[in-house]
Formats: sequence, C-alpha cells, structure tokens
Amino acid sequence: MKLRAIAGTLVSFGLAAIAWEAFARSGLLPAAITPSILDIGIALWGMIRNGTMFVHVGYTLFRILIGLGLAIAVGVPIGMLMGRFGFVERFFLPLVSVLSPIPSLAWVPLFILWFGLGNTASIALVFYAATFPLILNTWTGVRSVNRLWIRAASAMGAGRQTLFTKVVLPGALPFVIAGFRQAFARSWIAVVGGEMIAATKWGLGWAVFDSKEFLNTDVMLGTLVVIGLLGLGFERLIFQAIETRTVVRWGMVKSAKA
Amino acid sequence: MFRVPTTIRLRRRLRAGAELALPFVVVAIFWQLFAMFGPMPPKLFPGIDKIVTTFVRLAGNGILALHALTTILRLVAGFALGAVVGVLLGVLMGRSRWAEDLLLPLVSVGNPIPGLAYAPLFVIWFGLGNLPAVLLVGFAAAFPIAVNTWSGVRAVKEIWIRSAVAMGAAERQLFRKVVLPGSLPYMLTGPRLGLARPSRVLVAVEMLTSVTAGLGWLIFGAREFLNTDVMLAGIAVIGIVGLTLEKVVFEPLEQSTVVRWGMMTR
Repeated sequence: MKLRAIAGTLVSFGLAAIAWEAFARSGLLPAAITPSILDIGIALWGMIRNGTMFVHVGYTLFRILIGLGLAIAVGVPIGMLMGRFGFVERFFLPLVSVLSPIPSLAWVPLFILWFGLGNTASIALVFYAATFPLILNTWTGVRSVNRLWIRAASAMGAGRQTLFTKVVLPGALPFVIAGFRQAFARSWIAVVGGEMIAATKWGLGWAVFDSKEFLNTDVMLGTLVVIGLLGLGFERLIFQAIETRTVVRWGMVKSAKA
Repeated sequence: MFRVPTTIRLRRRLRAGAELALPFVVVAIFWQLFAMFGPMPPKLFPGIDKIVTTFVRLAGNGILALHALTTILRLVAGFALGAVVGVLLGVLMGRSRWAEDLLLPLVSVGNPIPGLAYAPLFVIWFGLGNLPAVLLVGFAAAFPIAVNTWSGVRAVKEIWIRSAVAMGAAERQLFRKVVLPGSLPYMLTGPRLGLARPSRVLVAVEMLTSVTAGLGWLIFGAREFLNTDVMLAGIAVIGIVGLTLEKVVFEPLEQSTVVRWGMMTR
C-alpha cells in the first residue's frame, strides 16, 4: 500500500519531468522561455550557493510571520468575543462578511500609496488576508462548542474563567486551526503577489517578477519550486503537526485525510 | 396560521435594518474623522463624501459597469475551462486506481502553489492581455475542483453503489444516477473554492498583464494619478460582485440541489 503510493509518486513526477523535458527541447518554443530541468536546477543551486535564495526566503517569511502574528492577535480575540457576546457579533459580522470577499491584492495599490513600497505594505497585506478567515473560523468554533459540555462543566462548578480556558477554548480549537490553515493559504498568495507589485529588492515574489524583466525563466521556475515547497512544507509539517498534537490526540477529529 | 401584525413586523424590519447599518455608520464616522484630522493628506486618504461622489459618478457614466463586466467575463471563461478540466481529472482519479496513483501527487503539489506566482511565466509564454489572464484563472480553478471532485467521488457511500449494482445498474447508469449526485456536495464546495480563489487572483493578474479594462486594472491605473477615491470605489465594486456571486449563484445552486435532496443542511 505504502510502497505503491511512493512508486506512484515517483512515476508521476518522472513522467511529468520527461514530458516537460521533451517539450522544452522540442524547439516548439524558444529555449529561453522553456528552460530544461537541468537549467532550472543549476539556477536554483546557484541562488542557494551565493545565498540570495536565503535572503529572499528570509524576507518573505519575515513579512508573512509578522503579518500572521498580528492577524492572530487581532482576529482570534474578535472571533471569540463574537462567539460569546451577541452585541459584538451583531457589530462585527456585517463588516467581516462585506470585507472578507474582497481579495487582499485589490488593496495593493492603495497600500503602496499609504505605506510606501517595501515591508510595511506587504505586512499590511498579509494582515488583511489572514484576519478574516481567522475571525470567521474562531467565531464558528466558539459557537459549535457542544452545549452539553458547557452545561456539564458549569454543573460541576466551573467558573467563567475555567469554563473558558478548559472548555470553550479547546472545544473551538479544531475550527481555529482550520482558520490558521486558511489564513496561511491566503496570506501566502497575498505575500507573493504583494511582493511582485510592492516589494523593492528582496522576497520570493519579487524574485519571480524581477526575473521576468531579464527573461531569466530558469531563475523564475526555480523560485516557483521554492514557493511551492515552502507552502507545502508549512501545510504538511507545521499545521498537520499542530493538529495531531492537539485536536487529533484529544479525539475531537479523525486524523486528517489519508 | 398566526400572523404578526403589520406594524410590529415593520418595526422589527426597521430594527434589523438599523442593526445592520450601525457598524457601517460607526466605521464611516471613524474613517471620516481620520480623513479630516488624521496625518494623511486628503489626496491619499479621501473622505467618505469624496468616495461616494466618485462612486456615483463612475457608476453613472458606466465606467464601473464596463470594468466589472470585463472582469466577470474573464472569470467565467477561465472558470469554465478550469471546471471542465478539474471535474474530468477528479472523476478519473476517483474511479480509477491508476489515474489516482499517477495524477494525485501532481495535483496535490500543484494545489497549494498560489496561481498568481505563475503570472509572470504566463505573461512570458502567452504574451500580455486576455489570454494569459483567462488561462491563469482556469489553471488556478482546476486544482481545487479536481481535489474536491476526487474526494467527492470517493465519498459516495459504498452501499449506494452496491445496491445500485444489485438492482442491475450498468456502469453508465451507476455513474449518472449514483456517483455524480452522490459526490455533488463536494463538487459544489470545489467550484466555490474554484471560483473564490481565481477571483482573488484575477484582480492581481489584471494589474500585472496590462489588460485594457477590468477592475484590477482600474485600481492599478488609478495609482498613477493618485486617484485614491477611484481605487476605493473599485474595491467597493469588487466586494459587491463577490457578495452577489455568493448570494445569487452559489446559495441558490446549493438550495436547489443538495439541500433539497437532504444531503446537506443549512
């Protein structure tokens, strides 16, 4: 079973690589815009060796982590309050449901004018992209905490604070973690897109965009690979680990999809 | 049936309306105060009055409608492309072990990569203008649709399939009458994602591919002349279009299919 999956993965990537290689070398399109896999690998290795790739990754991670941190600090408390108090819900819900469907990238030009090019604009963008999924998921999570648990806990004499830290918070956690995931996925798009338009010198999005100017498709595709791997890594390593350590271990959700 | 008197119903409606309006009024007041007394020059941070006037002016002479329509057309064209490819791939992966082994790794690696990252590549390959924008929307839409269709097809209850087979359903019928409707709840969340994601991306794509119309272009172009009021009007239209799509397209679609069949409650 396991072996079959690994073999399948290898075969599928192998076939895809061969198809790309055949296409790149066929001469249907000029070699400059369809680099061979070898060229992409060399370009990527070059960027790793002279350290530029690490600086790009560092800047991007810095922007996304600060933005996400701010979004968590703002979004989770608002979501909690919305779930607990009716008047907070009535105030914030209309605002959130109007602002949430607006793609964060629509704000890029405005943010550039407000905050200038560079880090602040990108961080503001990540913040905008991440806050709304966090608020909505936390709110849903708090509301979906089993009534019975709350009543049972109060019957056993839990105070407001114990109720909150021992029942509501852990009960809402599956949704909050789902919110983190969504927030990360959205801010990953936002930060890469934002860097294309608003960054000055560093960042993965900027690296992709800048290599377009000089038709360095090998650098571009190499950076795309890094963007994909990092996104996948965050999703698989960090969020799945958080999930198995908490909600899955507590038996609240079945372990994530096979 | 017991009827609530009209006056009370009216009062309730008014109350609900006021409650809905309150947060926006509060935000508008803060915005206005910041615009008037804040540190930003009014050219960069226009007051509500300015934004509303611009919105009305641009809506009146049809500029907003033109750009919105262009964007929606691109979205629909790209989405149709992505939906056809995504559903095909998803059904194939769900029904055949072979296809699943070969395609799933590729799809699950491609899925988390933001479609926008490909934008410069698509520009190099397909030039500027409509073609790369539509293709990119299709590309971004295909992944979530494929993944959701696949899990939908797999989530069809084994017992439905077995009983259909026992009652003599052929492969074709099985597919049309059992597998397809059974996986519909998942497929619907697929297109929902498949439309939400590209519509987020499309705005930025329009900024990068220098098309000649579209909401993204409207916002981006307004930057050149510091027309922040035009930008905010454009952003408002994007929000309205997004909300409308959700309320007019997806919710009724869900209501008339899976909710009516009792497969999903709302």
